[in-house]
Amino acid sequence: MTFLAMTALQTALLAALTSAAIIALYFLKLRHRRVVISSSILWRRVLDERQSHSLWEKLRRIISIAVAVTIALLIALSLARPEIASLTGKNERVVIVLDTSPTMNTQTSDGKTRWEHAVDRAKGLLDTGGPTTEFRVIDTSGVIASAFTTDRDEARNLIDHMSPKTADPQFPRVDGTDSQVYFVSDGVTLHSTPSFVKRISVFEAANNVGITAFEIRAVPSTPLGYEAYLEVQNFGPAADVGLTIGGTGGQRTNKTVRLGTEEIYREVFDLSQFTGGGVRAAIQSKDDELPLDDVAFAYLPIKRKTRTVLVTRGNNFLETLLKLDSYVELMVTDPASYRESPNIDAYIFDRFAPATVPGRPALIIGTPNAPWLKPAIGEVQKPEITAWSENHPVMQYVSVHDVSIERASRIDPGDLTVIAASKQTPLIVASEKPRWVMLTFDLSSSDFPFHVGFPVFIENVLSWFNREQLAIKRVPGVVEVPLANAQIHTIDGKTVASEQQLGKTIFQTNEPGLYAATQGDQRMHIAVNLANPTFSDVNRSVFKTDRAAAAQHYWLRRELWFYMLMGALVLIGIEWFTYHRRITL
Amino acid sequence: MSTSNVTLFDDEFLKKLEYLNIISKRLFAGQLRAERRTRKRGTGLEFADYRAYVAGDDFRHLDWKAYLRLNRLILKLFEEEEDLPIYFFVDSSQSMNYGEPTKLDYARRVAAALCYIGLANLDRVNVISFADGIKGELPPQRGKGRIFKIFRFLTDMTPSGETDARSSFKTYCTETRRRGLAVVISDFFDSHGFEGALDILRHFRHDIFVVHIASHEEIDPALRGELLLVDAENNSTREITITPSLLTAYRSEFARYCETVEAYCGKYQLGYVRTTTDFPFEELVLKVFRQGRFLK
Repeated sequence: MTFLAMTALQTALLAALTSAAIIALYFLKLRHRRVVISSSILWRRVLDERQSHSLWEKLRRIISIAVAVTIALLIALSLARPEIASLTGKNERVVIVLDTSPTMNTQTSDGKTRWEHAVDRAKGLLDTGGPTTEFRVIDTSGVIASAFTTDRDEARNLIDHMSPKTADPQFPRVDGTDSQVYFVSDGVTLHSTPSFVKRISVFEAANNVGITAFEIRAVPSTPLGYEAYLEVQNFGPAADVGLTIGGTGGQRTNKTVRLGTEEIYREVFDLSQFTGGGVRAAIQSKDDELPLDDVAFAYLPIKRKTRTVLVTRGNNFLETLLKLDSYVELMVTDPASYRESPNIDAYIFDRFAPATVPGRPALIIGTPNAPWLKPAIGEVQKPEITAWSENHPVMQYVSVHDVSIERASRIDPGDLTVIAASKQTPLIVASEKPRWVMLTFDLSSSDFPFHVGFPVFIENVLSWFNREQLAIKRVPGVVEVPLANAQIHTIDGKTVASEQQLGKTIFQTNEPGLYAATQGDQRMHIAVNLANPTFSDVNRSVFKTDRAAAAQHYWLRRELWFYMLMGALVLIGIEWFTYHRRITL
Repeated sequence: MSTSNVTLFDDEFLKKLEYLNIISKRLFAGQLRAERRTRKRGTGLEFADYRAYVAGDDFRHLDWKAYLRLNRLILKLFEEEEDLPIYFFVDSSQSMNYGEPTKLDYARRVAAALCYIGLANLDRVNVISFADGIKGELPPQRGKGRIFKIFRFLTDMTPSGETDARSSFKTYCTETRRRGLAVVISDFFDSHGFEGALDILRHFRHDIFVVHIASHEEIDPALRGELLLVDAENNSTREITITPSLLTAYRSEFARYCETVEAYCGKYQLGYVRTTTDFPFEELVLKVFRQGRFLK
């Protein structure tokens, strides 16, 4: 027997003092109530007879003292938290890591999912060990990581709150030196674990055909032209797979293909007949065990002409380019005639800027003087573009590495976003609020208009100003939206609970879907899709249950002090009962 | 005295008592003529027997008709009616000072009532207070007019001392040779044993009638918890824990003790009446004594 709260010497001292105190108290004379009776003859006879004939009468005092001392010792020793390894196991720490990869949603032959099996195994682990065993439960999505606790109900509750998520699963950092670490997984997504981890497999082979890629992309050669790319892979035996791509306006494309084992089907679908809105891709195959990757979503921007005013003293390149764009409704005016109009979607100011910031987004060419613009603080000759942001929407599909510029204005970008820059000065800067883009060089002093990327750049700028964007792509789990204080809605208009974090909005979803994030007049679509061959390949497991994974069961489920206090309580009850019936003293 | 009398008896009750007679199972010789038959042959009205005339006999009692028929002088014998000595032994030990009302009070009332009946029948009434010896003795009283003297004696009786009836009776009987009806009123809590005491009375050939008084508090004591029992007679103490089983055992022991006293009386054909202090006193005197053949 060991004691968790005291040393053996302290415990022995406590026991001795307790016993001595109880015995001393017991022998303190209780003042008996004095009662005068007529004669003690009969009482004496009764008492003498009982005392001489009853063993119980002889032992009553000793037994009463023994019971009282036992009660006191049970209470006192429970403070020391005794532990008997053979009864309650040792005081140890167990970490249970549950794999919350999306492949855990795969169904098994008994109708349950791998996740449900994992939960059963994890709860089974909670039933092992002794009452002093501390448990910690962690998932691989980084959402739930409890502290060590002996409260198994709390641990069970946490496991019930876990669910398979698609967020990039990672094995958590756990210390295996002072604890046993169990990892319950199907072994599909996370193959490697630290050597001290005892693995418990819930893997069972399953049929699955999954969408491994689905996206809508603009056709560079066609303004507002979009196409959908779909990739489907069969991870089971050969099967007929039905493909469906449907749009919000009722457009629908169906196809059936036969896919062999590990065969990949890729196709680009023309969406010219689709009106804007959500697009859903779905596949159907027999005995598919993972429904999560059978659907995928994307957003097709709504097609509409951009009413654009070009304010210039004359610029053939721009004028010709914009007139050729069938999705631009162009109006040209000189700076003297410029008046702001509410029906305009965008302005293009060529070597001119109004005194006040326009109410609509604007592309400013050159570095005109205006109070709302950064003033030129010098001039740079032959600046060379050394850096540009390929991820910015206005630079999508645009290459500027070989653009030559004769001269450019030197500005201090301040809080502006620098999209392209030379070593001396920013060359393309952007402002989010109000939204505008400025080239610090004149088109006539550069060969940028002759580059193939220039029309794309103008198209990107106008798209960034007004047009709807393609949906940003995310995976199920914790979804991060690069828009502060945004409201999240499903495509059906239902509000989704969200939180704000470091200038971003995050929300949680465990299934594929299309969502909209709005903040003021800004709107953004988020396509949440599994679409990842790593997750769809549900049979890629090299995981087996370790032999040492089984833990020992103990009969006592709580620490000994609990049973000792219960015993003391029962003894107090018995003592109370027998005392009031004068069975004990 | 008058106040005590009021508490002991009322006038109506006294009138009822006058119609009762004490029955004696034996006939005893008395000193004065009274209403009791005795073994003595004398001048009573009731014919008893014949015997041959001897010189010196009273001529008035010769049966002349028998002389004419038989030619022999035959003397008619008549029963002599005399008074009956009644000895009331009242236990006034400390144990009698127990209960509500106390057993001694109850004994006083019983003794007073019986004394009154005895006096009303012209019997010689002796009242003896005893405990560990003879504490007091009222000389023989005769006639109803003496009842107040008896009342006073009974009222002045104070409870004290241990019970030693054997020693008390032995002392009294050796001093008073005349046999009679001995009425013993006691709780019979005698550490020396009640049998020895009654044996003494039997030895002196008294007709014995036992009135065993118990209080309700003794029969069914309302005791609980840790107690220090103090014996009222000798002040001996005993620590005790009252349990239901102990109370049950005590009740059984008390009943057994009463049965022992009754069995002894039955064995020697002694009159025996047991009563409790909460039993209505009038009912006891008028009915129970009649059922016990003590009164007629």
